[in-house]
This record gives sequence, C-alpha cells and structure tokens, in this order.
Amino acid sequence: MLRVSHKERPHWRAQAERLGFGFHTMYGEPYWDETAYYRFTLAQIERDLEEPTAELHQMCLEVVDLVVRDERWLRRFCIPESQWQGVLDSWRRRDPSLYSRLDLAYNGRGPAKLYENNADTPTSLFETAFWQWLWLEDNVDAHWLRRDADQFNLLQERLVARFAGLAASRPGRRLHFACCRDTIEDRGTVQYLEDCAREAGLDTAFVHIEEIGLGEGGWLTDLDNRPIDWMFKLYPWEFMFREQYAAHLGSSRVEWLEPMWKSVLSNKALLPLLWQRFPGHPNLLPAYFGDDPRRAQLDDYVRKPLFSREGANISLVRHGELVAEVDGPYGEEGFIVQAYHPLPKFGDNHALVGSWLVDDQPAGIAIREDSGPITQDMSRYLPHIILD
Amino acid sequence: MKRSKRLLLSRMADRIGKPVGAAIAGSVLLSACGNNDTEVQVYRSADDCRGDNPSLAEQCQASYQQALAEAAETAPKYDLRQDCEADFGGGSCVPYQYQGNSWFMPAMAGFMFGRMLDRDRYINTPVYTSRNPYSPYYGHWSTANGYRLGKASYGKRMPVGKEALAPKPKVTRTISRGGFGSTAQAKSSWKSSSRSSSRSWGG
Repeated sequence: MLRVSHKERPHWRAQAERLGFGFHTMYGEPYWDETAYYRFTLAQIERDLEEPTAELHQMCLEVVDLVVRDERWLRRFCIPESQWQGVLDSWRRRDPSLYSRLDLAYNGRGPAKLYENNADTPTSLFETAFWQWLWLEDNVDAHWLRRDADQFNLLQERLVARFAGLAASRPGRRLHFACCRDTIEDRGTVQYLEDCAREAGLDTAFVHIEEIGLGEGGWLTDLDNRPIDWMFKLYPWEFMFREQYAAHLGSSRVEWLEPMWKSVLSNKALLPLLWQRFPGHPNLLPAYFGDDPRRAQLDDYVRKPLFSREGANISLVRHGELVAEVDGPYGEEGFIVQAYHPLPKFGDNHALVGSWLVDDQPAGIAIREDSGPITQDMSRYLPHIILD
Repeated sequence: MKRSKRLLLSRMADRIGKPVGAAIAGSVLLSACGNNDTEVQVYRSADDCRGDNPSLAEQCQASYQQALAEAAETAPKYDLRQDCEADFGGGSCVPYQYQGNSWFMPAMAGFMFGRMLDRDRYINTPVYTSRNPYSPYYGHWSTANGYRLGKASYGKRMPVGKEALAPKPKVTRTISRGGFGSTAQAKSSWKSSSRSSSRSWGG
C-alpha cells in the first residue's frame, strides 16, 4: 500500500459539474483529491480487505440475531421499546438490505481493524462507485496509468444487479427515494442510487424526508399523495424511531431500504458486543460499554457516542489525557470506548479505508484522508488502484 | 478484473446529472403524432366550453365539475405558498384544507375536454401551467401525473395520447406531513454554526 503523487486530469472539474458531482469542493476546501492515489497489491485487496470484510459482516449479522430477540440488549442499544417488535419482525422476515460500508484501519501489512459499521446510511457512494472508476478509465486511456491497473470497485455493477433482483420479485412496485432537504451530498448519493435503480428497470420517485405525509389508511404518502410501500431512505433509523411518525411505522406497510434491523449495526454498541462474542479476533479492536469496569484495561482509547456521524463527538484519550476531540450534537444516549489504534500515516495524511458491501458481498473500497487523526465529513477522498 | 464493466459506465453516464422534476414528477413530453390519439381542447371554465360546444352543455358542466374535484385530490401540495408560486407563478396558488391541515396547490388552469375514442365518455382531466417564465411548467399544459401536453392555449384542438388520460395510480388523502425530519432539523442548528455546515446525515 503506497501513496503515489499523480497529475490531475485537466478536465475533471468541468466533467464533475456536468455529471452533477457538485460537492467536489466544499467550503473552499478540496473534497475530491486526485493529486495522489493509493496503490495496493491484489493480495492486499483480497486477503487483507475483501475476505475480512465478508467475515466481519457475517459476525455483525450474528450480533443482530442476538440483539433483536433480547430486551436487555435492545435497551443497551437505545432502541425505543415501541420499535422492538418492528425490528424483530424485520429480522425474522429477513427483509433484504442494499448496502453497507465498514470503516477499517489498514496500513498494508497485518490485519485491518474495524473502526465502525456504516450499515444504515453510508455515503461517499457516487465518488466510489462511479467517479473514482471514471478517474481510472480516463487515466488508462491517457496512458498515464498502465492498462493492467485495476481497482476494487464492483459497486455500480452490484448495485444495479441488486436492484434488478429486488425488482424481479416486486412487479409493478414503485421504489421511493428520500433524503433531507438542504444536504447536497445526500441528495447526490440518493440521485445516484435512483439512477442505478432506473438502470435496473425500476419505477422510482423522490420525496424529501420532511415532505413525507401520513395518509388515510395509515399509508405514508409522497407529494402526489401516492402511498409509499417501498422506500430507500438516507436518514438514520435512530432519528426516525424518535420522531412523530414513528408511531405509524408499524401500520405504514413500507418495505424499507435499509431494513429496520440495520438499526442494530449502525449503532456503536455493536463494537463492544462484537468484542464480547469474538474476543481476540484479528480484525477487531477491544471495545467496552462506557459503564463496563473492564474498560479500565484500556489506557489509550477512543470514546464514541452510540449514535454519531462524520466523526462528531469522538474523543481520543491517551494515558488518561484527552489528546483530540471533535465537537458535535451527539452523545446523549451514552458512549462506548474502543482501544486506540491510530490510522496509518502517509506523509502528513491519516488514511481510512471504507470497505463496501452490496447484498452481503464485498464490492469495493474508498479511501479518505485527513490531516487529523479523526476522519470527518470534510476529509478528502482519494482514488486507488491495484497493481502487482 | 475487480471493477465494474465499461459498458455500464457509458450507459450510466447518460443518466447521471440529469435532474428529475420535483413537484410534478418526471415530466414526459408526449409525441403529438400517434395514431391512437384523442383530440381534446382545454377550457378555462364550463361557460367557455359551452360557448364552443352548444350541443354539449351538459357534458361541459359535468366535465368541469369532475375536473375540479380531481384537481383538489391530485394537484401537487405545498406547505408554503411561496414554494407553490415559485413553480406556478404569483397568484396561481390556492389554499387547500383537509382534516385540520392546510397546504397550497396550483389552481386548475383549465380542463381537457373531448370524447374518449374507445368509450362513450368525456375526458375531464385538470391541467396546469405556470406564469413564472423560469419554471419548468411555463408555457405549456401539464397534468398532475407529469404529462406535458402542447402549448398553453385555450380552445385549441390538440391530440393527446392514452398515457395522459390513464387513471392516476391509486392515491390516498394525505392527512398530515412533516412527521419525519425533526431530529435532523434540531441537530443542524449545531452543524451550521460549526466549520462543516449541514451537508450530510449519512456517514
């Protein structure tokens, strides 16, 4: 695993604008960065990232199976009691999922370590599935990279295939897509997924989360008053569970993507439970609930709220001293602690690997870089290649 | 190869970056030269319709009233008058109330009138247009389910395909809106005051 400096394609900004990738630069700082790329060997990709991703995902599903039927754990995970039945039902029905992203610390040698599981609302999808792919195709065509340079990136193909598979068993069903207003990145992610679904032949529609209506008969409705019976929402379950329409989730008859059981995985309480079920697993870091006396074993640790996004409210403690902290609006539901395992540094850059799954299968990777040790929403996105 | 095939790339590139309409979903421009097209005229009122078709006074009245009823049910609804007017133009929107909740919707600009080819029934679909020259609905007639007809002009005969007249998919009456999204709103006040303002609720 190497970080290689590289020439920028002269036309990429214009191309990004044309393809609707409007958030390549945010608040004057670069988000997409092709002045360098990461280079992996095929063995590093397959042995160290792809296989552990598949295994970690299966371990996570075992934890779901444990949590959904145990009130003690459901409470620990801060899933409201009114939603327990719905979460259990969605797991028992094996409601299909679409995609996930595991965040891994990996430096090219030894086992990758799981930081967390973005199983409910993963973003940076368009950049990964389409844009970094286009970057490689362009570079190969321009002879700036060797023709045998590859990339671990089956995301787009797998997403379209997954949608086609779901469509086949749901003839005539319309899939609604939703995200919040005024979130340019989320709108981009959802637009891209909608494009993939249409490519797979699905009938789609879009509605903002705030515009969803409650109709007669208990249906949720879009702005045309059409009942919603199948919806992809880029909006966290832990938010939805605590909002006004939560009381109607049961009667609304919506089939959700991601399904309700994903609320167990996108929760940081997953991490101590994984460590408890699979102690010493090479791809796991020791982790404990904030009130667990065993946490005293950790001298250096990262404190994470049960619910947190984009690195918010995460603090880093070494030898009992706070060394880094990100402010934020999360944390009221409690914390977990995870053993400190710093991201590898390439020059001044801390690199994080996002490892994607579609339909339970590993499907590609994304690299994010930050000048600080905690990856946040403004961290830069860099492309990667595979070359032996 | 561990990446998606190139064929898919070029197909997807044609889709990406093409916005999809919001209020009136996926505006479809109907071809005006199909053989099975029905001919319709758009009238503003039952009186205009009767004036043009004195022998069909009864049908004009019935079509107008059915169109009004359908418009109340199927017209796009907005929380704010200003959002509705941005799409349909100043003074074009009317309040709509149902079970204690209120919205704004575009006033019906007219209704299609004409005899169905294959049935002894008169068409009565409400149509809309915009007074705002920057709106996608400006200058032509649109139906609530997204079909775009010809140039907005009253009383002119124009062909219309079956798709535009097909019954609207099952709808229900919306009792309230806004029951999701409050957490994001509460947390975004924190976000907007920080370095990274609200751009994502994903992760």
